[in-house]
Amino acid sequence: MLNGRLDKYLYICKIRMIRSFTYKFEVYGNILMQSIIMITTAFFWKALFKNETFENGVTADSMMTYTVMSAALSVMFTTGVERRIQQSVEKGSIATDMMRPVNVFGIFLAEDIGNLIALIVQNLFPILLIGSLLIKVPVIVSLSAIPMFVGSLFLSMAINWLLAAIFGMWAFTAISMDALFQVKKHLIRLLSGSIIPIWFFPAWLSDILNLLPFVYIYQLPLDIYIGSATNDEICRRMLIQLVWVLVLATLYYLLSKKVLKKVMVQGG
Amino acid sequence: MKKTGSSIAHYFGVTMCNIKMALLTIVEYPSNILGWLISNPIQFILGFATIKFVVEQFGEINGWSYGQLAFLYGIAVISHALSMIFFVQGWFMGFYVIEGDFDRFLTRPLSVLYQFFFTNINVLGLTDLIPGILVFVYGCVKTDFSFTVTNVVGIIVMLIGATLIRGGIYILLGSTSFWTKSANDFGQFTQEIFDKTTMYPISMYPEAMQLILTFVIPIGWVSFYPASELLGIEHAFSIGGMEVWITLAVGIVTMLIAGLVFKIGMRRYESAGN
Repeated sequence: MLNGRLDKYLYICKIRMIRSFTYKFEVYGNILMQSIIMITTAFFWKALFKNETFENGVTADSMMTYTVMSAALSVMFTTGVERRIQQSVEKGSIATDMMRPVNVFGIFLAEDIGNLIALIVQNLFPILLIGSLLIKVPVIVSLSAIPMFVGSLFLSMAINWLLAAIFGMWAFTAISMDALFQVKKHLIRLLSGSIIPIWFFPAWLSDILNLLPFVYIYQLPLDIYIGSATNDEICRRMLIQLVWVLVLATLYYLLSKKVLKKVMVQGG
Repeated sequence: MKKTGSSIAHYFGVTMCNIKMALLTIVEYPSNILGWLISNPIQFILGFATIKFVVEQFGEINGWSYGQLAFLYGIAVISHALSMIFFVQGWFMGFYVIEGDFDRFLTRPLSVLYQFFFTNINVLGLTDLIPGILVFVYGCVKTDFSFTVTNVVGIIVMLIGATLIRGGIYILLGSTSFWTKSANDFGQFTQEIFDKTTMYPISMYPEAMQLILTFVIPIGWVSFYPASELLGIEHAFSIGGMEVWITLAVGIVTMLIAGLVFKIGMRRYESAGN
């Protein structure tokens, strides 16, 4: 029974993956652009750090690892769910999506996972390779950090996807979503540590940010990776990360029930 | 001669109509504008705060004080806003190529590139101008910038040049779609690269990169060189106070090259149904 239900999602996932593999030029273009950004960022930090060591033990060298890994993670945090919801609501295809014998949001998740697998093969590996050759081989701080890194990375991806899905659900009520997506994009870009680590921010600000979900997308896995936080601190922050996953998952569950009911009332 | 005169007048008339229509869209979708009015300033205010934190950590960046960096950042954001108003379409050129949307323009007696940019003037770009001007004014106050006639002319010339450089690069990137036949949306990446290279002094980067940014992809002229001149900061290519004019010249040349590439690309355009 469960197996049969899962098959449908696996099929969607596979189709999406195959589709992603067909756009060759887009892939090369993206890799090129992301590499340029990564290299520029690396030079940027190198110029700023010179030979200084930051208060939490971060040097220019570990900042290089941070840069390469942040570029790699940004590939893994690509989601299509919000655009997908927006488009299917605008075009009304949400109605046909809902007629399928699977959960609508299940479709979106399966599509994003399919896309992610394609992205890992096509974009993540080339970017890691280019980063290793031109900037620095991003070595993890210690072998014992690997399980924590992988664990927090999965939670990060969950937060990232849930946030995208929750934002996307606003498409059911708001007319224009573009501005809203921009807000979310910039919040994540600047407050998650993807571009600038939040330990550069003043203490009061990073204290506030540590309560928000954004830093648990990039900053925590990267901190674990380069070893810029103590074990106690990491454990405490992973706990908050887990709490955020639960909060967002609950919110997501409640909202998805509500918006789907709304569609049915309006008749698509 | 008479013909060019009347054709310029015609283009001018059409442009005015387009600007009027663009302004009317504000009235049509007030909530949309409101959304952008919140989201765009957020982006640049956060970005500017980031610079402040970086300066607090590391002190001056390559001899540029905080006020001077604000000046540079302001110029970068204002020229970004202007390029968003007039040339943001370049980011979406791929979709026009794939979906055959140029067909509509081809049937009209106006230049295709002109129509492409000016039938959709992006009034939303105005919301970028506000944070840009705020930070710029802040930078001017901090650096005791004197608004003499030469300086004001310099700022205007520089902004026109910088906008043209940005626009030219968007067109060049967008035109690649004619050859790749794919709808690449490089907007996000382009902006990321521009942010790092126009909002900070490029003198902090290795020499090879500076050379590329000066001669190959002329991003250095968008903000770094002209701002250096206006603030009186020495840089590797100091040429005695001509920087703002070179920016304008570089802008015009970039635009001409972009226009040429677009024209060549247009020959490969296959229209809808392919």
